[in-house]
Amino acid sequence: MLNKFFEPRSVAIIGATPKPGKVGRVILENFMKRFKGRIYPVNPKYDEILGLKCYKNVKEIPGEVDLAVIAIPAPRVPGVMKDIAEKGIRAVIIISGGFRETGTEEGARLEEEIKKIAFENGIRILGPNCLGIFDNWSGVDTFFLPDEKMKRPPRGPISFISQSGAFASALLDWMAHHKIGLSRSISYGNKIDVDDIDLLEYLGKDDKTGLIIMYLEGLKPGRGRLFIDIARKVSMEKPIIIYKAGKTSRGGLAAASHTAALAGNYQLYKAAIKQAGLIEALSFDEIMDLAKTLLTQPLMKGDRVYIVTDAGGVGVMSTDALTMQGFNVPRTPGDLRDKLREMLPPHCIVENPIDLTGDADDDRYIKVLETLLPRNDVDAVIVVALPQIPGLKGKLFDYLIHAKKYGKPILVIMIGSEEAEKFKEYLEDNGIPVFESPERAAVALRALYEYSMFKEKYRGSEG
Amino acid sequence: MNPREIIEKALREGRRKLLEHEALYVVKHYGAEIAEADIAYTPEEAGEIAEKIGFPVVLKIVSPDISHKSDVGGVIVGVKTKEEAVEAAKKILGNVSKRAPNARITGILVQKMAPKGLEVIIGGLRDNIFGPVVMFGLGGIFVEVLRDVSFRVAPITLNDALEMMNEIKSAKLLEGYRGQPPVDKEALAKTIIAVAKLLEENPEIDSIDLNPVIAYPDKALVVDARIILRQSKSK
Repeated sequence: MLNKFFEPRSVAIIGATPKPGKVGRVILENFMKRFKGRIYPVNPKYDEILGLKCYKNVKEIPGEVDLAVIAIPAPRVPGVMKDIAEKGIRAVIIISGGFRETGTEEGARLEEEIKKIAFENGIRILGPNCLGIFDNWSGVDTFFLPDEKMKRPPRGPISFISQSGAFASALLDWMAHHKIGLSRSISYGNKIDVDDIDLLEYLGKDDKTGLIIMYLEGLKPGRGRLFIDIARKVSMEKPIIIYKAGKTSRGGLAAASHTAALAGNYQLYKAAIKQAGLIEALSFDEIMDLAKTLLTQPLMKGDRVYIVTDAGGVGVMSTDALTMQGFNVPRTPGDLRDKLREMLPPHCIVENPIDLTGDADDDRYIKVLETLLPRNDVDAVIVVALPQIPGLKGKLFDYLIHAKKYGKPILVIMIGSEEAEKFKEYLEDNGIPVFESPERAAVALRALYEYSMFKEKYRGSEG
Repeated sequence: MNPREIIEKALREGRRKLLEHEALYVVKHYGAEIAEADIAYTPEEAGEIAEKIGFPVVLKIVSPDISHKSDVGGVIVGVKTKEEAVEAAKKILGNVSKRAPNARITGILVQKMAPKGLEVIIGGLRDNIFGPVVMFGLGGIFVEVLRDVSFRVAPITLNDALEMMNEIKSAKLLEGYRGQPPVDKEALAKTIIAVAKLLEENPEIDSIDLNPVIAYPDKALVVDARIILRQSKSK
């Protein structure tokens, strides 16, 4: 249903202009750079913009138009919407601000007028007051920030739904800088029509999206339960990471009952997040830590985590961090203890966390991991590989990539400078997430565990 | 009267709150177990009801105009015989006529006193975004000071309700402590589900507080129920 927003064959850009720095110019340039379909600039003042024929009105465009992008002052939007209806365009992105978000009567009135025209003519609207869509496959790009201000990320499996346009552009720029692949990104602004639920449904079915990140401030009234139902269905297919902004309790509520006084806005969202199987990220760092883990690691079958380390201290830190996240860091069972004792020098510690000590080398790690990973009583392994020790040359990291065949999560903790960065990049390029701190690794693993348990729980009940 | 009739009657009379006996009855109808209670319209009737439900009982004034019953001498606890019940009812009526002379009196609630157990709060409300939601928490400081509660958006399954109980920080108290046996979680879950259903099937209800519900090893009794109706539909 939302196909025309993401993969239109033709687009009309209303408010296109040759004036440098203007929103209508940046959007037109974005489309000209990457969009493969037909582009129709619309502006009564010009006959031609940047070499493209410009139309006075959408009604004059000869061919069929799948998508209209509106970037003109709010008071003129209703008139254009009527033309769009006559032309038979069914998908509209309204970038312009100046509607309900202004808190003025006039803004609200304009918004209602647009809604009415859209509803009567079966037009779907994204926005107003938004950045719209950046689609890394079709080249739809209404993010009105030029490339030099906001770099575009490479193509990849992550899609992003954001209630904040500014945060969306910041995250995309950041992803581009860190070479993290993006699929589609949406900023929906005032969401007078297309909202989180529609977008989740679309991205849920989208085979180019492997993981969804949501930045949410609030749902529309009355949409909460449907949101839970749809989000739960999509969560069964692919992980959804949510960052819920606005966690403080709603103010000024006249509480008629105990329950009402205790039901802070965030409390209810927390319940909904849980019921929908969403994965909550509590900070910006967490969003990406969780994303890289959930994208690359297999589901967990249980909560037993083993730690293999070359540093006793970080082994203990990891044990604490994992235990605080509710994991079981079991004592090494007798048979495993005997095997490890046999293969390791006497000064190594075979108790979990298994400490290979500072004279460890790649082979010592590999031998131990090759013993651990196939075991049925091991659900995940944390490899602490501080690269400062001379024995770590890189063979271990090739092994870790190869060891994905065991189908168990492997997370690496690495603290250091250039060498650590180099290894980290190599591992992450090959689907092994690396963390600078045991705490962050533990939080990410916990998210993976909860998502695994959610899928396990609903696998039967959802048929 | 069934729950629909009770709610409609309250709305017709312009009340935003169900009377105590009405609220208890509605909750019971939806499958929660309540500390047995009935309303008496005369002191003699109070004696008869007390005898029927068994002692000890508590007597409480029922009036749409009185919300703090104890402040006007409208509550007498620990009543142990039929004669005492008749006397207590007379005394309550006397107290109230002196301290709240203009209050309309519906009657006197006679309720079996629930033995000591673990006090919990079960609630529900209609949220603007999520619709009916339910809440669970332990009574007293756990809710009032620590705000240690959990929520779910209705409808919920038995499993959801059990999960809600395990989610609160003080969940261990439900498992029994200092030699106490664990409480009947399934009975509590049933009460939570009753609240969810009540909200779903009666759009006029704005919020529900069951406070306290007393949990025992083999059951859970709703002792006090408060049901608030939506203002917009009451006029």
